[in-house]
Amino acid sequence: MRRLLGLILLLQTLHLGIAHAAKRPLLQLVVTAPYLEMHSGPGRGYPVIYVIGRDEIVTVLFSRTDWYKVRAPHGEEGWARRADLSTTLLADGEPAPIPPYPDFPSHHWELGAGYGVYNRQNLVTAYVDYSMTESLDIEGVLQQALGTLDNRVIATIGLRHTFIPEWKWFSPTAGLGGGYQHIVDKVPPAPLENNNEMAYVSLGARGFITRRFMWRADWRHYDVFNHLNVYEDLEEWKVGFAVFF
Amino acid sequence: MESRLCSILLAAALLSGCSWFHRGDKHPQQVVVEDPGAEPTIVEPQVNRREVKTPKIKAKDFELGVYMGALSIQDFGTNPVYGVRAAYHVTEDFFLEGFLARSKAGQSSLEETFPAITVLSNSGRHFTYYDLDVGYNILPGEVFLGRGRAFNTALYVIVGIGDVKFADQDQFALNFGVGTRILVTDWLAVHLDVRDHVFEDNLFGVDENVHNIEGTLSLTTFF
Repeated sequence: MRRLLGLILLLQTLHLGIAHAAKRPLLQLVVTAPYLEMHSGPGRGYPVIYVIGRDEIVTVLFSRTDWYKVRAPHGEEGWARRADLSTTLLADGEPAPIPPYPDFPSHHWELGAGYGVYNRQNLVTAYVDYSMTESLDIEGVLQQALGTLDNRVIATIGLRHTFIPEWKWFSPTAGLGGGYQHIVDKVPPAPLENNNEMAYVSLGARGFITRRFMWRADWRHYDVFNHLNVYEDLEEWKVGFAVFF
Repeated sequence: MESRLCSILLAAALLSGCSWFHRGDKHPQQVVVEDPGAEPTIVEPQVNRREVKTPKIKAKDFELGVYMGALSIQDFGTNPVYGVRAAYHVTEDFFLEGFLARSKAGQSSLEETFPAITVLSNSGRHFTYYDLDVGYNILPGEVFLGRGRAFNTALYVIVGIGDVKFADQDQFALNFGVGTRILVTDWLAVHLDVRDHVFEDNLFGVDENVHNIEGTLSLTTFF
């Protein structure tokens, strides 16, 4: 009985959730161009299946990449490109909140992954980056180095400065930070220390491939802190791709 | 004189009686002569300003799903594989995708021929991998079901790197493949993929690149 009650409550919650989702207000825009083309899919090659005339209302359902799923006044649905929708207006005559291009200098979060070489080992790297200003970022990196003698997991956090952020295709960067490495032994003899703290300096570059997609290249020099009274340093380089939000 | 006074009083009474009929009428507005030296009064409208919020557009660029299929582990037969995948669609052409999956190797041909030999322990037979890939939609299009239904599709290629844990050891692996995505609805997709995981191995005493090809069927959702 209690289970049945729980099920009913769950269904009601779900129903309320769905009803709430369905009631989410949708953006309505007025077409100002002679017509707005609706494609059958979110891509340049998909054919135009419908057009919405000037002064008619278009309802925006959601977006995927640079395409928007839209609904015409009589219920027909299709995909409109960002550049076309950016010419529409709100009901009060203000421009639609859809810029013709994504506003990339104002992004904050960046997510990337790539390949590199760390201490002559293959490196798989992933990172998340938060930009505090246009040129200064805080960067957290998690990477796995896979070699023949040992495997390593490396986690670092640091600051990165982009020298000329307004250069789109190539912009040099420099950074510094600290981190930690954990060594998993594969072939004897085992390393004397399995865990080390490290500090690094880095030089690199980045450039935009498309408006939301960029490449990054980075070289790092690590100083490894140990209790063995020996100076130990490592080098790493890597290339990768990143997107921002 | 008396009659004149009476007539005046009568007229006054009549007029006052007439004014009774105009009771409902508004009084004539009083004309206030403003002092030309005083400052003009500012009228504050007692109207609450309505906040107009522009609805936000929901972006559905993320894709998350599960998959199952068959993984051919070189020298260890073909075995079921189960995994999860997550993608972020950057443009209509490019996407970034990550995979995480697990399978279990069967008997190698050596073990089948000589049952006394054991190449791998039980835990070493687990084949676990993760991959980070870049994908490109090379052939976007539509497929048709009868006269009235069309589904958006894309044939894509992916290439990436990752880690394979097999024989209790992590190996750096290259990964590449081809797949097709069929969008059943705007938020639900079915994928058919073929991917190869290549890594260097010396289980049988010589260093060699081993190819581990898998065919999978995925169910994913966009959000």
